[in-house]
Amino acid sequence: MMRGLPWVMALLWLPVSVYAQTKTPVPRASDGKPDLTGVWQGGSTQKGTWEEANTGIGLGGSGANPAGASVRSSSDRPAGSEGAPYQPWAAKKVLESFNNRGIDDPTARCLPPGIPRVVMLGLFPQQIIQTPRQIVMLYEYMNTFRVIPINAKHPDDLLPSFMGNSVGHWEGDTLVVDVTGFNDKTWLAGAGTFHSDALHMTERFTRVDQDQINYEATMEDPNVFTKPWTVRSTLMLREGTRIEESVCAENNLAPERYEQLLKDNANFRR
Amino acid sequence: MTKGHLGTWRLAAALFFFVTVMLAHHSFGAEYDVNKPVTLTGVITKIEWTNPHSYFYTDVKDEKGQTANWKFEGYPPGVLVRTGWKKDVTIKVGDTVTVFGWHARVDSNWAHGREVTFSGGKKLFFGPPAGTGDGGATPAVGVAK
Repeated sequence: MMRGLPWVMALLWLPVSVYAQTKTPVPRASDGKPDLTGVWQGGSTQKGTWEEANTGIGLGGSGANPAGASVRSSSDRPAGSEGAPYQPWAAKKVLESFNNRGIDDPTARCLPPGIPRVVMLGLFPQQIIQTPRQIVMLYEYMNTFRVIPINAKHPDDLLPSFMGNSVGHWEGDTLVVDVTGFNDKTWLAGAGTFHSDALHMTERFTRVDQDQINYEATMEDPNVFTKPWTVRSTLMLREGTRIEESVCAENNLAPERYEQLLKDNANFRR
Repeated sequence: MTKGHLGTWRLAAALFFFVTVMLAHHSFGAEYDVNKPVTLTGVITKIEWTNPHSYFYTDVKDEKGQTANWKFEGYPPGVLVRTGWKKDVTIKVGDTVTVFGWHARVDSNWAHGREVTFSGGKKLFFGPPAGTGDGGATPAVGVAK
Protein backbone atom coordinates (compact mmCIF):
# COMPACT_ATOMS: atom_id res chain seq x y z
CA MET A 1 0.00 0.00 0.00
CA MET A 2 2.66 2.46 1.06
CA ARG A 3 4.86 1.43 -1.85
CA GLY A 4 2.04 2.23 -4.25
CA LEU A 5 1.24 5.66 -2.87
CA PRO A 6 4.00 7.63 -4.58
CA TRP A 7 2.81 6.25 -7.93
CA VAL A 8 -0.73 7.25 -7.21
CA MET A 9 0.45 10.69 -6.19
CA ALA A 10 2.58 10.96 -9.30
CA LEU A 11 -0.36 10.05 -11.49
CA LEU A 12 -2.53 12.57 -9.73
CA TRP A 13 0.16 15.21 -9.98
CA LEU A 14 0.82 14.76 -13.68
CA PRO A 15 -2.36 16.29 -15.07
CA VAL A 16 -2.22 19.00 -12.41
CA SER A 17 1.24 20.04 -13.49
CA VAL A 18 0.27 20.04 -17.17
CA TYR A 19 -2.78 22.12 -16.26
CA ALA A 20 -0.63 24.50 -14.26
CA GLN A 21 1.62 25.11 -17.24
CA THR A 22 -1.21 26.12 -19.52
CA LYS A 23 -3.48 27.92 -17.07
CA THR A 24 -2.61 31.02 -15.15
CA PRO A 25 -4.58 32.01 -12.06
CA VAL A 26 -7.57 34.28 -12.38
CA PRO A 27 -6.64 37.60 -10.73
CA ARG A 28 -8.96 38.37 -7.82
CA ALA A 29 -10.27 41.65 -6.48
CA SER A 30 -10.21 42.43 -2.76
CA ASP A 31 -13.78 41.11 -2.44
CA GLY A 32 -12.72 37.77 -3.89
CA LYS A 33 -14.46 38.27 -7.25
CA PRO A 34 -12.50 37.77 -10.44
CA ASP A 35 -10.91 41.13 -11.31
CA LEU A 36 -11.77 42.15 -14.86
CA THR A 37 -9.70 45.33 -14.61
CA GLY A 38 -7.40 45.84 -17.56
CA VAL A 39 -7.13 46.84 -21.20
CA TRP A 40 -8.58 44.20 -23.51
CA GLN A 41 -8.83 43.39 -27.19
CA GLY A 42 -12.06 41.83 -28.40
CA GLY A 43 -12.36 39.36 -31.24
CA SER A 44 -8.91 37.87 -30.65
CA THR A 45 -7.62 34.65 -29.15
CA GLN A 46 -3.94 35.61 -29.20
CA LYS A 47 -2.06 36.08 -25.95
CA GLY A 48 0.53 38.77 -25.42
CA THR A 49 0.95 42.50 -25.80
CA TRP A 50 -0.90 44.33 -28.54
CA GLU A 51 2.18 44.23 -30.71
CA GLU A 52 2.90 40.56 -30.08
CA ALA A 53 -0.68 39.51 -30.65
CA ASN A 54 -1.25 41.51 -33.81
CA THR A 55 1.60 40.43 -36.05
CA GLY A 56 -0.78 39.17 -38.71
CA ILE A 57 -1.80 40.92 -41.82
CA GLY A 58 -1.88 44.22 -40.08
CA LEU A 59 -5.34 44.82 -38.84
CA GLY A 60 -5.42 46.17 -35.37
CA GLY A 61 -1.76 45.90 -34.71
CA SER A 62 1.77 46.17 -35.91
CA GLY A 63 1.21 44.16 -39.01
CA ALA A 64 4.74 42.87 -38.68
CA ASN A 65 3.99 39.81 -40.76
CA PRO A 66 2.53 40.61 -44.17
CA ALA A 67 2.11 36.89 -44.81
CA GLY A 68 -0.23 36.63 -41.85
CA ALA A 69 -3.81 35.53 -42.15
CA SER A 70 -6.46 37.83 -43.49
CA VAL A 71 -9.06 39.27 -41.20
CA ARG A 72 -12.79 39.59 -41.07
CA SER A 73 -14.58 42.82 -40.46
CA SER A 74 -17.17 43.98 -37.97
CA SER A 75 -19.68 43.76 -40.75
CA ASP A 76 -19.24 40.01 -40.66
CA ARG A 77 -21.27 37.80 -38.45
CA PRO A 78 -19.18 36.53 -35.54
CA ALA A 79 -17.12 33.45 -36.25
CA GLY A 80 -18.75 30.21 -35.30
CA SER A 81 -22.08 31.78 -34.37
CA GLU A 82 -25.43 30.56 -35.52
CA GLY A 83 -27.32 32.62 -38.03
CA ALA A 84 -29.34 35.37 -36.44
CA PRO A 85 -32.91 34.10 -36.00
CA TYR A 86 -34.73 36.98 -37.65
CA GLN A 87 -38.40 36.81 -38.53
CA PRO A 88 -38.83 36.51 -42.32
CA TRP A 89 -39.67 40.17 -42.93
CA ALA A 90 -36.75 41.22 -40.72
CA ALA A 91 -34.32 38.81 -42.40
CA LYS A 92 -35.23 40.46 -45.69
CA LYS A 93 -34.42 43.85 -44.21
CA VAL A 94 -31.08 42.55 -42.88
CA LEU A 95 -30.18 41.28 -46.34
CA GLU A 96 -31.10 44.62 -47.89
CA SER A 97 -28.78 46.39 -45.47
CA PHE A 98 -26.12 43.73 -46.01
CA ASN A 99 -26.21 44.55 -49.71
CA ASN A 100 -26.10 48.27 -49.04
CA ARG A 101 -23.93 48.22 -45.96
CA GLY A 102 -21.61 51.07 -46.80
CA ILE A 103 -24.57 53.42 -46.71
CA ASP A 104 -26.70 51.75 -44.08
CA ASP A 105 -24.02 51.11 -41.45
CA PRO A 106 -24.72 53.56 -38.60
CA THR A 107 -21.01 53.79 -37.78
CA ALA A 108 -20.31 55.16 -41.26
CA ARG A 109 -22.18 58.25 -40.03
CA CYS A 110 -20.19 58.19 -36.78
CA LEU A 111 -23.08 56.95 -34.68
CA PRO A 112 -22.04 54.88 -31.67
CA PRO A 113 -21.53 51.19 -32.53
CA GLY A 114 -23.65 49.87 -29.66
CA ILE A 115 -23.28 46.43 -28.14
CA PRO A 116 -22.30 43.68 -28.52
CA ARG A 117 -20.63 45.05 -31.66
CA VAL A 118 -18.19 47.32 -29.82
CA VAL A 119 -17.29 44.59 -27.31
CA MET A 120 -16.23 42.17 -30.05
CA LEU A 121 -14.40 44.75 -32.13
CA GLY A 122 -10.69 44.02 -32.45
CA LEU A 123 -9.18 47.12 -34.01
CA PHE A 124 -9.77 49.27 -30.95
CA PRO A 125 -9.04 48.32 -27.33
CA GLN A 126 -11.46 48.53 -24.42
CA GLN A 127 -10.72 49.13 -20.76
CA ILE A 128 -12.53 47.65 -17.78
CA ILE A 129 -12.28 49.27 -14.35
CA GLN A 130 -13.78 47.18 -11.57
CA THR A 131 -14.82 48.20 -8.09
CA PRO A 132 -17.03 46.15 -5.74
CA ARG A 133 -20.04 48.42 -6.39
CA GLN A 134 -19.70 49.28 -10.05
CA ILE A 135 -17.80 48.26 -13.15
CA VAL A 136 -16.93 50.76 -15.86
CA MET A 137 -16.25 49.74 -19.45
CA LEU A 138 -14.53 52.23 -21.71
CA TYR A 139 -14.35 51.69 -25.45
CA GLU A 140 -11.85 53.55 -27.61
CA TYR A 141 -14.08 53.14 -30.64
CA MET A 142 -16.18 56.31 -30.86
CA ASN A 143 -15.37 57.21 -27.23
CA THR A 144 -18.19 55.11 -25.84
CA PHE A 145 -18.61 53.81 -22.30
CA ARG A 146 -20.84 51.90 -19.90
CA VAL A 147 -21.23 52.31 -16.16
CA ILE A 148 -22.51 49.06 -14.66
CA PRO A 149 -23.74 49.17 -11.04
CA ILE A 150 -23.64 45.83 -9.25
CA ASN A 151 -26.83 44.41 -7.74
CA ALA A 152 -28.82 47.43 -8.86
CA LYS A 153 -32.11 47.77 -10.72
CA HIS A 154 -32.59 49.54 -14.03
CA PRO A 155 -33.93 53.06 -13.52
CA ASP A 156 -37.63 53.40 -14.34
CA ASP A 157 -37.15 56.57 -16.37
CA LEU A 158 -34.79 55.26 -19.04
CA LEU A 159 -34.30 57.21 -22.22
CA PRO A 160 -33.59 55.07 -25.29
CA SER A 161 -29.84 55.01 -25.92
CA PHE A 162 -27.23 53.56 -28.27
CA MET A 163 -25.34 51.71 -25.55
CA GLY A 164 -28.34 50.80 -23.41
CA ASN A 165 -28.58 50.74 -19.63
CA SER A 166 -26.53 48.07 -17.89
CA VAL A 167 -26.78 46.54 -14.44
CA GLY A 168 -24.60 43.67 -13.26
CA HIS A 169 -24.45 40.87 -10.75
CA TRP A 170 -22.11 37.98 -10.05
CA GLU A 171 -23.09 34.38 -10.67
CA GLY A 172 -20.14 32.56 -9.14
CA ASP A 173 -17.13 33.78 -11.10
CA THR A 174 -19.16 35.15 -13.99
CA LEU A 175 -20.21 38.78 -14.28
CA VAL A 176 -23.72 38.83 -15.71
CA VAL A 177 -24.83 42.13 -17.21
CA ASP A 178 -28.44 42.86 -18.01
CA VAL A 179 -28.89 45.55 -20.65
CA THR A 180 -32.07 47.30 -21.69
CA GLY A 181 -33.18 50.80 -22.67
CA PHE A 182 -31.81 50.62 -26.20
CA ASN A 183 -32.81 52.77 -29.13
CA ASP A 184 -33.14 51.06 -32.52
CA LYS A 185 -30.18 52.76 -34.21
CA THR A 186 -27.33 50.26 -33.87
CA TRP A 187 -26.28 47.00 -35.50
CA LEU A 188 -25.79 44.04 -33.18
CA ALA A 189 -23.16 41.79 -34.73
CA GLY A 190 -22.78 41.72 -38.49
CA ALA A 191 -23.88 43.86 -41.41
CA GLY A 192 -27.51 44.85 -41.21
CA THR A 193 -28.28 43.21 -37.86
CA PHE A 194 -30.81 45.80 -36.80
CA HIS A 195 -33.08 45.51 -33.77
CA SER A 196 -35.99 47.31 -32.16
CA ASP A 197 -36.10 49.30 -28.95
CA ALA A 198 -37.52 46.18 -27.29
CA LEU A 199 -34.03 44.65 -27.36
CA HIS A 200 -32.98 43.00 -24.12
CA MET A 201 -29.48 41.65 -23.73
CA THR A 202 -27.79 39.38 -21.22
CA GLU A 203 -24.02 39.37 -21.30
CA ARG A 204 -21.71 37.02 -19.46
CA PHE A 205 -18.07 37.92 -18.75
CA THR A 206 -15.97 35.06 -17.38
CA ARG A 207 -12.27 35.64 -16.78
CA VAL A 208 -10.82 32.18 -17.32
CA ASP A 209 -7.17 33.02 -16.63
CA GLN A 210 -4.70 35.89 -16.58
CA ASP A 211 -5.04 36.48 -20.32
CA GLN A 212 -8.62 35.84 -21.29
CA ILE A 213 -12.24 36.73 -20.67
CA ASN A 214 -14.88 34.58 -22.32
CA TYR A 215 -17.72 36.76 -23.52
CA GLU A 216 -21.23 35.77 -24.43
CA ALA A 217 -24.19 37.95 -25.38
CA THR A 218 -27.73 36.67 -25.65
CA MET A 219 -30.10 39.02 -27.43
CA GLU A 220 -33.86 38.89 -27.15
CA ASP A 221 -36.06 41.06 -29.33
CA PRO A 222 -39.56 39.70 -29.96
CA ASN A 223 -40.15 42.40 -32.57
CA VAL A 224 -37.49 41.05 -34.94
CA PHE A 225 -36.31 37.61 -33.72
CA THR A 226 -38.11 34.29 -33.55
CA LYS A 227 -35.98 33.23 -30.56
CA PRO A 228 -33.00 34.59 -28.60
CA TRP A 229 -29.69 34.93 -30.47
CA THR A 230 -26.38 34.22 -28.74
CA VAL A 231 -22.94 35.31 -29.96
CA ARG A 232 -19.60 34.63 -28.33
CA SER A 233 -16.14 36.13 -28.38
CA THR A 234 -13.03 36.34 -26.27
CA LEU A 235 -11.36 39.40 -24.81
CA MET A 236 -7.58 39.15 -24.51
CA LEU A 237 -5.53 41.14 -21.99
CA ARG A 238 -3.27 43.76 -23.60
CA GLU A 239 -0.90 44.95 -20.93
CA GLY A 240 0.86 48.19 -21.78
CA THR A 241 -1.83 49.35 -24.20
CA ARG A 242 -3.72 52.56 -23.52
CA ILE A 243 -7.02 53.60 -25.02
CA GLU A 244 -6.86 56.65 -27.24
CA GLU A 245 -9.40 59.30 -28.14
CA SER A 246 -11.52 58.55 -31.18
CA VAL A 247 -13.77 61.42 -32.23
CA CYS A 248 -15.31 60.06 -35.40
CA ALA A 249 -17.00 63.28 -36.52
CA GLU A 250 -13.64 65.06 -36.74
CA ASN A 251 -13.05 64.31 -40.41
CA ASN A 252 -15.63 61.84 -41.65
CA LEU A 253 -15.59 61.98 -45.43
CA ALA A 254 -17.66 58.83 -45.87
CA PRO A 255 -21.22 60.22 -46.22
CA GLU A 256 -20.23 62.71 -48.90
CA ARG A 257 -18.40 60.06 -50.86
CA TYR A 258 -21.27 57.63 -50.46
CA GLU A 259 -23.64 60.15 -51.99
CA GLN A 260 -21.40 60.18 -55.02
CA LEU A 261 -21.07 56.39 -55.02
CA LEU A 262 -24.85 56.06 -54.85
CA LYS A 263 -25.20 58.31 -57.87
CA ASP A 264 -22.69 56.07 -59.63
CA ASN A 265 -24.69 52.96 -58.66
CA ALA A 266 -21.81 51.61 -56.58
CA ASN A 267 -21.95 47.99 -55.54
CA PHE A 268 -21.48 48.04 -51.79
CA ARG A 269 -20.96 44.30 -51.62
CA ARG A 270 -17.74 44.24 -53.59
CA MET B 1 -11.72 11.69 -46.56
CA THR B 2 -7.97 11.29 -46.28
CA LYS B 3 -5.92 12.32 -43.31
CA GLY B 4 -4.41 15.11 -45.38
CA HIS B 5 -7.82 16.51 -46.11
CA LEU B 6 -8.70 16.41 -42.46
CA GLY B 7 -5.52 18.33 -41.65
CA THR B 8 -6.37 20.97 -44.20
CA TRP B 9 -9.86 21.32 -42.81
CA ARG B 10 -8.50 21.60 -39.30
CA LEU B 11 -6.08 24.29 -40.41
CA ALA B 12 -8.88 26.15 -42.17
CA ALA B 13 -11.10 25.83 -39.12
CA ALA B 14 -8.29 27.03 -36.87
CA LEU B 15 -7.63 30.02 -39.10
CA PHE B 16 -11.31 30.82 -39.20
CA PHE B 17 -11.44 30.67 -35.44
CA PHE B 18 -8.32 32.65 -34.73
CA VAL B 19 -8.68 35.29 -37.34
CA THR B 20 -11.69 37.09 -36.05
CA VAL B 21 -10.30 40.51 -35.31
CA MET B 22 -13.11 42.81 -36.20
CA LEU B 23 -13.18 46.39 -37.28
CA ALA B 24 -15.23 48.87 -39.10
CA HIS B 25 -15.54 52.10 -40.38
CA HIS B 26 -16.62 51.72 -43.93
CA SER B 27 -16.63 49.37 -46.83
CA PHE B 28 -13.35 49.03 -48.70
CA GLY B 29 -14.92 47.55 -51.77
CA ALA B 30 -17.42 50.30 -52.35
CA GLU B 31 -14.73 52.94 -52.35
CA TYR B 32 -11.60 51.23 -53.60
CA ASP B 33 -10.88 48.89 -56.47
CA VAL B 34 -8.92 45.81 -55.42
CA ASN B 35 -8.14 45.21 -59.08
CA LYS B 36 -6.33 48.53 -59.31
CA PRO B 37 -3.30 48.29 -57.01
CA VAL B 38 -0.97 51.26 -57.14
CA THR B 39 2.62 51.70 -56.04
CA LEU B 40 3.72 55.31 -56.10
CA THR B 41 6.80 57.19 -54.92
CA GLY B 42 6.47 60.80 -53.96
CA VAL B 43 7.24 63.59 -51.55
CA ILE B 44 4.94 64.15 -48.57
CA THR B 45 3.14 67.50 -48.76
CA LYS B 46 0.56 67.21 -45.98
CA ILE B 47 -0.42 64.82 -43.18
CA GLU B 48 -3.78 64.63 -41.40
CA TRP B 49 -3.88 62.57 -38.20
CA THR B 50 -7.64 62.52 -37.97
CA ASN B 51 -10.58 60.28 -37.10
CA PRO B 52 -12.12 58.19 -38.40
CA HIS B 53 -9.32 58.00 -40.97
CA SER B 54 -5.91 59.55 -41.38
CA TYR B 55 -4.61 60.92 -44.64
CA PHE B 56 -1.35 61.97 -46.18
CA TYR B 57 -0.68 63.63 -49.49
CA THR B 58 2.28 63.17 -51.80
CA ASP B 59 3.50 64.91 -54.91
CA VAL B 60 4.03 62.15 -57.46
CA LYS B 61 5.76 62.72 -60.80
CA ASP B 62 4.61 60.67 -63.77
CA GLU B 63 6.82 59.49 -66.64
CA LYS B 64 6.21 62.75 -68.49
CA GLY B 65 7.45 64.78 -65.55
CA GLN B 66 3.98 66.01 -64.61
CA THR B 67 3.38 66.26 -60.88
CA ALA B 68 0.10 65.19 -59.31
CA ASN B 69 -0.85 65.40 -55.66
CA TRP B 70 -2.12 62.02 -54.39
CA LYS B 71 -4.22 61.49 -51.29
CA PHE B 72 -3.87 58.27 -49.29
CA GLU B 73 -6.39 57.09 -46.71
CA GLY B 74 -5.57 54.87 -43.73
CA TYR B 75 -6.06 54.00 -40.07
CA PRO B 76 -7.16 56.54 -37.45
CA PRO B 77 -4.44 57.96 -35.16
CA GLY B 78 -5.02 55.53 -32.28
CA VAL B 79 -4.51 52.57 -34.57
CA LEU B 80 -1.47 54.16 -36.21
CA VAL B 81 0.13 54.54 -32.79
CA ARG B 82 -0.45 50.85 -32.06
CA THR B 83 0.89 49.98 -35.51
CA GLY B 84 4.24 51.62 -34.77
CA TRP B 85 3.77 55.17 -36.04
CA LYS B 86 4.91 58.23 -34.10
CA LYS B 87 3.31 61.53 -35.00
CA ASP B 88 5.78 64.10 -36.36
CA VAL B 89 8.58 61.52 -36.19
CA THR B 90 7.76 58.60 -38.45
CA ILE B 91 6.50 60.70 -41.31
CA LYS B 92 7.15 64.38 -42.05
CA VAL B 93 6.39 66.83 -44.82
CA GLY B 94 9.26 66.67 -47.29
CA ASP B 95 9.98 62.96 -46.78
CA THR B 96 10.12 60.74 -49.83
CA VAL B 97 8.04 57.59 -49.45
CA THR B 98 6.81 54.74 -51.60
CA VAL B 99 3.20 53.78 -51.02
CA PHE B 100 1.39 50.62 -51.98
CA GLY B 101 -2.38 50.68 -52.01
CA TRP B 102 -5.50 50.52 -54.13
CA HIS B 103 -6.99 53.19 -56.37
CA ALA B 104 -10.30 54.79 -55.44
CA ARG B 105 -13.18 53.93 -57.74
CA VAL B 106 -14.42 57.44 -58.40
CA ASP B 107 -11.82 59.93 -57.22
CA SER B 108 -8.67 60.42 -59.27
CA ASN B 109 -5.36 60.69 -57.41
CA TRP B 110 -6.91 59.13 -54.35
CA ALA B 111 -5.97 55.73 -52.96
CA HIS B 112 -6.26 53.51 -49.96
CA GLY B 113 -2.75 53.44 -48.48
CA ARG B 114 -1.78 49.98 -47.32
CA GLU B 115 1.98 49.97 -46.84
CA VAL B 116 4.48 52.81 -46.71
CA THR B 117 8.17 52.24 -47.41
CA PHE B 118 10.43 54.93 -46.02
CA SER B 119 13.69 56.07 -47.61
CA GLY B 120 15.70 53.95 -45.18
CA GLY B 121 13.82 50.84 -46.26
CA LYS B 122 11.61 50.59 -43.17
CA LYS B 123 8.02 49.57 -43.89
CA LEU B 124 4.84 50.22 -41.93
CA PHE B 125 1.20 49.53 -42.63
CA PHE B 126 -0.84 52.71 -42.94
CA GLY B 127 -4.19 51.06 -43.56
CA PRO B 128 -5.93 47.71 -43.47
CA PRO B 129 -5.78 45.11 -46.21
CA ALA B 130 -8.14 45.11 -49.15
CA GLY B 131 -11.60 43.85 -48.39
CA THR B 132 -11.89 45.45 -44.96
CA GLY B 133 -15.42 46.29 -43.97
CA ASP B 134 -16.89 44.36 -46.83
CA GLY B 135 -18.84 42.07 -44.60
CA GLY B 136 -17.65 38.92 -46.22
CA ALA B 137 -19.83 36.63 -48.25
CA THR B 138 -22.14 35.54 -45.47
CA PRO B 139 -24.92 37.71 -44.13
CA ALA B 140 -25.70 37.36 -40.44
CA VAL B 141 -29.18 36.11 -40.99
CA GLY B 142 -30.30 32.59 -41.19
CA VAL B 143 -32.52 33.26 -44.16
CA ALA B 144 -36.04 32.02 -43.51
CA LYS B 145 -37.16 29.41 -46.00
